[in-house]
Amino acid sequence: MNIRLAAESLHSCSGCEISLLNIGEALIPLLNRLQLVHLPLLMDHKYSDPAGSETEISIPKAEIGLVSGGVANTHQLQVLEAMRKSCTTLVALGTCGTHGGIPAMINEWPMADALQTVFSTVTTEPVDVPNQDTPPMLDRVYSLDEKTDVDIFLPGCPPDPTIIARVLEDFLDGLTPEPVTKSVCDTCPTRRTGKSERKLLRFTANARFDSNESTASMQCLLEQGFLCMGPVTAGGCGHQGEPACIRARVPCRGCYGPVRHQDNQMLGMLNGLVSQGIDFKTIIDRKSMLRFSGAHGRLRPLKEKKRAS
Amino acid sequence: MRPEHKPKIIAFCCNWCGYAAADLAGIQRIQYPDSLRIIRVMCSGMVHPEMVLHALNKGADGVMIIGCQLGECHYIDGNEKAMARAELIDELLEDFGFENDRFLITRLSSSESEQFARTVGTMHKRVLELGPNPNSNQDNGDTP
Ligand code: SF4
Ligand code: SF4
Ligand code: SF4
Repeated sequence: MNIRLAAESLHSCSGCEISLLNIGEALIPLLNRLQLVHLPLLMDHKYSDPAGSETEISIPKAEIGLVSGGVANTHQLQVLEAMRKSCTTLVALGTCGTHGGIPAMINEWPMADALQTVFSTVTTEPVDVPNQDTPPMLDRVYSLDEKTDVDIFLPGCPPDPTIIARVLEDFLDGLTPEPVTKSVCDTCPTRRTGKSERKLLRFTANARFDSNESTASMQCLLEQGFLCMGPVTAGGCGHQGEPACIRARVPCRGCYGPVRHQDNQMLGMLNGLVSQGIDFKTIIDRKSMLRFSGAHGRLRPLKEKKRAS
Repeated sequence: MRPEHKPKIIAFCCNWCGYAAADLAGIQRIQYPDSLRIIRVMCSGMVHPEMVLHALNKGADGVMIIGCQLGECHYIDGNEKAMARAELIDELLEDFGFENDRFLITRLSSSESEQFARTVGTMHKRVLELGPNPNSNQDNGDTP
């Protein structure tokens, strides 16, 4: 029997689905073994069951369900619940689903304030925040596991196509995909000298490297003084033996989220920097270290007291 | 009427000084508030800020780190690392929605049992003034 697959995009940018399609030729043998029963990105499918009630969301039964994006409004929450009901194994695809991702940066502000700001910038015509025919927003952006049980976490913004393919293959072969335990640094070939800058540089200048040589001859970017999030970010990006950004000679931005699911990227990174003798007060935009993992209450509005000052 | 607030304070005490001072306070039968829950660690320098935040997320009303006097660390500079981190914790707690007064780091030598009891008393008072941790009865999405 074919394994049935359902996929949904919630508070997402479709990048994760593009990555799924980017599996390329390796996708064709997979498709022979998978039966796509629901995938709004590729096929038209109505939510409401013609025989059932108009409002109920129904999604066909499937053995595996991929959900990209977090949860930000009531409609997305209903779709997520319907996916959970229909799918035996639920996969959070992408960092938005596992840790809130980029959209969860809005959690730094109360939702009402954020909407007000978005719909009344100085350069646009003033309009009311739309409230008709749009599902109401939740109080903040949630990761999937804050709202339902998730069986497999597949972070990455987007996850590398080879990782998605491997998880699907494992699943078809009846294996449990192995969770990531390595950090980006663990998979990084750069040269560590043990001597690092005591000051952080802004990435307005290029790193020092010789473009004719491999990355293995480049000194670790963190040692060079650039804020490379490799130590606190789950590895897995870049299937060519080196992390994707490091291959491009730029510091890791942290897009796979923390190494262990419950870790806090900002706290971990600052702790490391402080232990190295770097003055953390020089990092004025520290909250940006949570740019990919702001769900789970990691990013939250500052209390009134502090914002007023 | 509001039920009486019985605070819980987690104290990470280093094996060599903080814990020894607490032990001595016990032997000398010095009275101090019963809100304290001591966790013995080998060195105050091993207390990752994540552990402090975790305690608060799980509902502790206050967290203390008690290490050795400067220059007396059994691991050379563990307490200096702890001080550098404490500065970080102080600053970051507000980011995560906690008053920074819920955290206190202090240094004691192993014979300073009176000082130990006094510091715990100060922290206890501080926490009473702050009131219960806003997270004490709710899960904060801090997954296990
Ligand atoms: S994880 Fe990245 S690629 Fe995927 S939906 Fe979110 S923002 Fe887009
Ligand atoms: S800090 Fe960055 S450059 Fe250095 S080893 Fe880690 S990932 Fe590589
Ligand atoms: S190096 Fe870091 S930011 Fe770049 S793709 Fe990998 S995990 Fe993402």
